[in-house]
Amino acid sequence: MLRAPLQKALSLPNLRQLSPALRGISSTPVQLEKIEVFVDDKPVLVEPGTTVLQAAAMVGVEIPRFCYHERLAVAGNCRMCLVEVEKSPKPVAACAMPVMKGWRIKTNSDMTKKAREGVMEFLLVNHPLDCPICDQGGECDLQDQSMAFGSDRSRFTDIQFDGKRAVEDKDVGPLIKTVMTRCIHCTRCIRFASEVAGVDDLGTTGRGSDMQIGTYVEKFFLSELSGNVIDLCPVGALTSKPYAFTARPWETRKTESVDVMDALGSNIVVSTRTGEVLRILPRLNEDVNEEWISDKSRFSCDGLKRQRLVAPMLKNENGELVTVEWEDALVGVGRALLRAGEKSAAVAGGLADAEALVALKDLLNRLGSEALCTEHTFPQDGSGTDLRSSYLLNNKIAGIEDADLILLIGTNPRYEAPLLNARIRKTWIHKECDVALLGPKVDLSYDYEHLGDDTTTLKKLASGQHPFNKKLSAAKKPMIILGGQQFGRQDAAAILAAVQQLSQSLSSSINDKEWKILNVLQQVASQVAALDIGYKAGVSAIREDPPQVLVLLGADEGTITRADLPKDCFVVYIGKLSVTLNLLPGHHGDQGASMADAILPGATYTEKQGTYVNTEGRTQQTLAAVTPPGMARVDWKIIRALSEVLGESLPYDNLNGIRQRLTEIAPHLTRYGSAEDANYFVQAVELSKTVKAQLASTPLDVKLKELQDFFMTDAISRASPTMAKCVQAVLKQKTSKY
Amino acid sequence: MSSGKAASVVTRQVRPILSLSHDDSRRRVLALYKAWYRQIPHIVTEFDIPKNTKQCQQKLREEFLKHKDVKDIRVIDMLVIKGQMELKETVTKWKQVGHVMAYWKDSVNKKPDDFLGKFLDGKD
Amino acid sequence: MAGNVVRPGSLADKLQRFKRIVDQSGGWKGLFLRVARIDEVKEGRLVGVDKFGNKYYENPMYFLGRNRWVEFSDRYGYDYDGSQIPAEWYGWMHYKTDRIPSEDPTRPKYKWIKDHEENHTGTERAYVPYSTTRSKIEAWKPPKA
Repeated sequence: MLRAPLQKALSLPNLRQLSPALRGISSTPVQLEKIEVFVDDKPVLVEPGTTVLQAAAMVGVEIPRFCYHERLAVAGNCRMCLVEVEKSPKPVAACAMPVMKGWRIKTNSDMTKKAREGVMEFLLVNHPLDCPICDQGGECDLQDQSMAFGSDRSRFTDIQFDGKRAVEDKDVGPLIKTVMTRCIHCTRCIRFASEVAGVDDLGTTGRGSDMQIGTYVEKFFLSELSGNVIDLCPVGALTSKPYAFTARPWETRKTESVDVMDALGSNIVVSTRTGEVLRILPRLNEDVNEEWISDKSRFSCDGLKRQRLVAPMLKNENGELVTVEWEDALVGVGRALLRAGEKSAAVAGGLADAEALVALKDLLNRLGSEALCTEHTFPQDGSGTDLRSSYLLNNKIAGIEDADLILLIGTNPRYEAPLLNARIRKTWIHKECDVALLGPKVDLSYDYEHLGDDTTTLKKLASGQHPFNKKLSAAKKPMIILGGQQFGRQDAAAILAAVQQLSQSLSSSINDKEWKILNVLQQVASQVAALDIGYKAGVSAIREDPPQVLVLLGADEGTITRADLPKDCFVVYIGKLSVTLNLLPGHHGDQGASMADAILPGATYTEKQGTYVNTEGRTQQTLAAVTPPGMARVDWKIIRALSEVLGESLPYDNLNGIRQRLTEIAPHLTRYGSAEDANYFVQAVELSKTVKAQLASTPLDVKLKELQDFFMTDAISRASPTMAKCVQAVLKQKTSKY
Repeated sequence: MSSGKAASVVTRQVRPILSLSHDDSRRRVLALYKAWYRQIPHIVTEFDIPKNTKQCQQKLREEFLKHKDVKDIRVIDMLVIKGQMELKETVTKWKQVGHVMAYWKDSVNKKPDDFLGKFLDGKD
Repeated sequence: MAGNVVRPGSLADKLQRFKRIVDQSGGWKGLFLRVARIDEVKEGRLVGVDKFGNKYYENPMYFLGRNRWVEFSDRYGYDYDGSQIPAEWYGWMHYKTDRIPSEDPTRPKYKWIKDHEENHTGTERAYVPYSTTRSKIEAWKPPKA
């Protein structure tokens, strides 16, 4: 079982493996005549430039490899992929050798087998025999391939000699555990760091048996994507530090799910054992995350086990939250809701699933209230949230690869959506694509043209007076990505209107009519679904008309505080967990659960089957990997039960029922896996012209500027000890002289 | 020819278990009922269960009436055989107090079938 | 002399023994209470008393296994059981040794030896095993108002 399945190789037959140094060389393939080669006597027609390994993959022959990886540049140094080519005196490295016309490749001949056995023997002679205590055991490429392609006996008799290669371990940070003796020098981690992550920290020193992989000087390998080198490492040299010695892969149960740490909805696999989430791994989805996930998605899963709400609570007469039975909690909350009637309101947090959002909206609407808000704002002027095109990443994430000019406005995609940034970097490296940024100067891991952080620049751009407009209008497929965080500004409507008008002015000059220009990068996983369902963006409505009962659906960000509410307002918190925020600077007072009069414990994304719509409008669902802890229940069921206590039973009592309701509201909410296109761009722009608001003079700013800001952004990652360690590590690295 | 075929379908023979006719099966059922009825006082004293003879008789009646709509002779026979087995197990004290008390199902909680009940139970 | 010797097992012997039992029990009332409490009438030599007030008797006339017994202290009332015999007397009671604790110099005596405690099973002080593993989920605790 190779780490990279066959279909991956098949799906990217034309991927040109260009090193970053070759950037700028156009990759538009010149249509050449296909050539015929024979793999194990099976004829196959391939394009010129295809490697032997790719040609073999096309006919279903998998050649063993260690250093080769489809998404990384070819290194050709492990020699595991040696195959015999007829009339060639030596075996050739299949991963690096382009095929020639009429070649007969033999992947199973005696010479090939002997070459593999020889390579394997050399690898194993310098590899420790510590599989029983190695965390890679069971998912190790070296283990698997030595079983499949290695020699059946050992010639290693020199057990008394203490000269077997040993390398000192390196401390590369709180996430990656290194056992460098196990390293087989495939250099996948180095290539990943320099190509995908854009952090040129890793490299090799020495040669021959003195070769070492490391950071040259003592420093941490810190990147928002660093965890992926754990998956890439074919042996146990780089393993997960938080997961060390926890479980074997055959003991765990894998559940395919979706990540909610950012608005991209990366596809993940949740590994569980005995009702406990042990680790999270990426799942292949070419349209969203390829095969990477960010460190926050991967390592914050220990935050699912801390600071959990496990039992319903009500405030007693002393003002203390005490644990109560579900019956009492529901009756207590129900009474308050009945008393409040239409004077009730709700705020949905960033991790809420569509089912809970719909149930809560249905419940409050039945009570006669329309005050349902999301924590993250969106301007209500112009078309507001009525037209879907104005709040989606319309080009889709995969569409970035077609863009030739990307303008980022008020966003730092590197930390707001690391995989989106990885896509931009990939496009920047492999294609003719330029990037410009309007906003604070940040390190995006690639070069960009900085247009300043002034709003006047935006005004100029919108009216076509800025020098950059020339470039924009010359671009064939320009893309403008607006950071969702800017909607929190006072002049959000003006910013959105300006960007919409700029996009519209460009759209007339491009040939591809299907190509959208306007893209919005949302901040949280629930926002698009909430807006699709009809939530009001932002809590200003609640501030203006303070309710008697406020339901917080996992709203932890502290957008509404006790000070905004009347004294007798009854606050209900439905959610997963809450965090005492004394760790975070700038957050004081009551947040989320701490300010609540009643707490109804909900489930996290690993504990429920929930629908999420990502920033490109793609509907995806999480699957329940474990059961909610203690007396916690799935969020929408809590609301459904509450409705029954109120005597306003909602007309669905199982998952199918509520999904049917989702379909009624918006059919795309249950079309899992597909991204529903938005339209009415022109109308949105027309409406945006009615916006009266003027751009303020405050410069555009982003919250997540540096790596330490990235790790702890929501209720789950803030409760995670691993994420706290990451922040510490980044701060420690700052003090280092390297 | 065809009518004969149809008739043969209707009167398809099945191997009887015990009884050949409804009267026969009725006799067996009544015999079993009487046997149980006579044993009840002994069962009550032998097992020291918190039920009196009257309650046991009522339960016996209930258990029989549970199957009052069964018409198939073979099914009735099978039920009679099972009843006979139960009786023997009870009288010979192969059963324990719990087994006898299981007829009343005192300790069995009914599973909730409404949403709120399931929600409070934490089960789907 | 011969006339005064009471033949073992004779009626006179039995009557004498019964008298000794009555005397040892503290008269007829004492005998009644004793029968009510321990359901046994026995006479024997008082070997020792432990610090809880339990009295240990021996009478080799009885068969081995019944010739050593304990009369539990009155503080226990009717609620006596074998675990109330302290460890130092356990050996004598079970014929592991013939030397009573006070006459045995080999016994260790340390300040830190705790008093004997009876078995608390069935009482409020009964030992209840508890898990020492860390719980998988750390619950949030509401801040004190």
